[in-house]
Amino acid sequence: MEKVIIIRYAEIHLKGKNRGYFERVFCVNLERAMKGLRHELHRTSGRYLVANFDEAQTEEICGRISRVFGVHSYSVGLSVPYDAESIYRAAKEVSPREGTFKVVTHRADKKYPMTSMELSAHIGGRLLDEFPALRVDVHEPEHTVCLDIRENGTALVFGKFERGAGGMPVGTSGKGLLMISGGIDSPVAGYMMAKRGMNVELLHFHSYPYTNDGAKEKVKELAKLLSKYSVSGKLITLNVAHIQEEIHAKCAAELNVTLLRRFMFRLAEKIARELNAKCLITGESLGQVASQTIEGITSSNAVVSLPVLRPLIGFDKDEIVLVAKKIGTFETSVLPFEDCCTVFLPEFPAIKPKLSFIEEEENKLDVDGLLREALASKEVFAL
Amino acid sequence: MIYLDNAATTEPNGEALARAVAFAQTNYLNPSAQYGGAVLSALKEAREGILSKIADPAQFELIFTSGGTEADNQALESCGRRNLVISAGEHAAVYETGVHLKSAGTELRLAPIGKDGKVDADALLSLVDEKTSLVSVVHVNNETGAVNDIFSLAERVKAKFPRCLFHSDGVQAFGKLPVRLSRNIDLYSVSAHKIGGLKGTGALIKRKGVALSPYLHGGGQEGNLRSGTENVLGILDFFYVAEEKFRTLEADFARLAGLRKRLLQSLDECFVPISPEDGSPYLLTVSARGLRGEILQRLLLERGVIAGTGSACSSKKPHSRVIEACGYGKDISDGVLRLSFSQKTTEEEIDFAAQALNAAAADLRSRIG
Repeated sequence: MEKVIIIRYAEIHLKGKNRGYFERVFCVNLERAMKGLRHELHRTSGRYLVANFDEAQTEEICGRISRVFGVHSYSVGLSVPYDAESIYRAAKEVSPREGTFKVVTHRADKKYPMTSMELSAHIGGRLLDEFPALRVDVHEPEHTVCLDIRENGTALVFGKFERGAGGMPVGTSGKGLLMISGGIDSPVAGYMMAKRGMNVELLHFHSYPYTNDGAKEKVKELAKLLSKYSVSGKLITLNVAHIQEEIHAKCAAELNVTLLRRFMFRLAEKIARELNAKCLITGESLGQVASQTIEGITSSNAVVSLPVLRPLIGFDKDEIVLVAKKIGTFETSVLPFEDCCTVFLPEFPAIKPKLSFIEEEENKLDVDGLLREALASKEVFAL
Repeated sequence: MIYLDNAATTEPNGEALARAVAFAQTNYLNPSAQYGGAVLSALKEAREGILSKIADPAQFELIFTSGGTEADNQALESCGRRNLVISAGEHAAVYETGVHLKSAGTELRLAPIGKDGKVDADALLSLVDEKTSLVSVVHVNNETGAVNDIFSLAERVKAKFPRCLFHSDGVQAFGKLPVRLSRNIDLYSVSAHKIGGLKGTGALIKRKGVALSPYLHGGGQEGNLRSGTENVLGILDFFYVAEEKFRTLEADFARLAGLRKRLLQSLDECFVPISPEDGSPYLLTVSARGLRGEILQRLLLERGVIAGTGSACSSKKPHSRVIEACGYGKDISDGVLRLSFSQKTTEEEIDFAAQALNAAAADLRSRIG
């Protein structure tokens, strides 16, 4: 009787001729997640099986599997020879001791001497004899005992289905560049794109000396948390302090944020092209702050040709917070840090800036020179 | 790197530490054990040694604590529950303890402070009444360096209400100001790491006869007022650094007063002094008008100078509570820098720091217009 983990995948089965590709990427991601822990990963039809692992590490392995996108659900179970006696012994292990239950059998091996119904009835009956506090309920049982008869003479016996992260295997949807701040939203945006199979690279803008290293450390910490979801293993930073100074000195105060956003988008596009990323990702949510109005978004989009993905655009703050809590970034995001720079924050930022006015103000700046300077400040941190 | 944040903490005195380590390594026995006599004697010597530097051991006694914060907590927590009068310029260890006691039902009365951080003596006295359990006034304000005349304050309080206790947080004063405790001071908190000792060591000095309740319960150490096996290493180190610090106290006081004046005179006009002229010579707080202190702090770091700030920039808590209580507006509160010295600070360092401060302020001003 060997302990195994059965992994079922999410939407890959929808893929037609590309299915092999999706499965290969999924397999690589699973292997990467379990790196450093003894295990064997077997592919069977429609599912994966983790075997030969250290039972003491079951929880750790499950935790890591639960964060791999593409995993629909997983179960810890037992692999046994498929004779009825061995199956019963395993079923006894995973069976509840009281409450309502049913036994569900799935036979991949159609030559098995009993039908699915017969085997379910046989095992269910013996479990009822063994545990008198159990009752059968085939419609809404509290527990299920699953028997999966494989073609190779083994059976998988398991109880609970644990929900996986869902989505698509990371890497099957190309690469994007996330503009990550120290706030709540952008890590969630990165998570959501990774969930749809995108390889997410990370770019952070800081404003030293107006922001301090604590702010950068916080973003590194967030990036580390995100890397558990196969988001990039590195963080790129650029310093935009001088851009802010120039805008502050030369342009209309109410456009400070709007103009800075345009610089950030241009810089992000340049970094994205270096990384061969095909899009930019932001944590913007419509109307959340002055720069996230449709006019603000239009102004930012106008300076880049790559598509900008905004997975949170229709989310309310509390909906974003829910996801942030679920993925474990919320607590770090709300840590206080020197988010300064009120120095450059206008009292009344423009909510509906006109593009012509923005461009007129921007023309007062040496845009290319400032971009070159900011790009020269690039730092890359391995996480 | 020139270190000018000695009010935050000081470089440990290496010789004293080596002596303390050597003793603690050899004499590791529990001082409360029957066979721990040698350690107990050393603690007794340290206790009397530290106490005698500032008070008459015939009239006062000393309870070792984990630092100034614990001493302040013990002083406030164990003194009655009627009303508590503290100054608005208190260190967080007193202020937050007061706020905590308030939430538990004690009335908290805050005496206003002036622009220099000194408590308004008359206002303070007017808040004290027959139901006041304790008055607490910081000896040297840790943010502005203002020296409160605690002796006169205590005398006035006692003259009005002899049973009211008087406590002072002396963390920034001990080993720095040439003073001795008068009988009107009931409780006085001190800390080791502000004078070259280790973090995690401090003491509450208590006038004999003042009844305190135990702060930590357990084995009954420190006259049953603060249980827990004594921090022998920290305490002996505290004793050795105090011995040395008090030997040069008066000379340091005079020399640093000169350096402090020199620094202030070398600073450009944009730096407005917050510290009063007669403040502690160990501390000079200025405000770079219209600039932000924490940004200047980072620019100073690039130029090789470590300075303190009045507060960390954060959208949630923009200014220091104490600087606000002094009555300054945003343009001054934003730009607060605290420069604090130790007996090791040299004239060259002060001159270098002055240049760096002027250059950093000019740089920042040119950058943000």
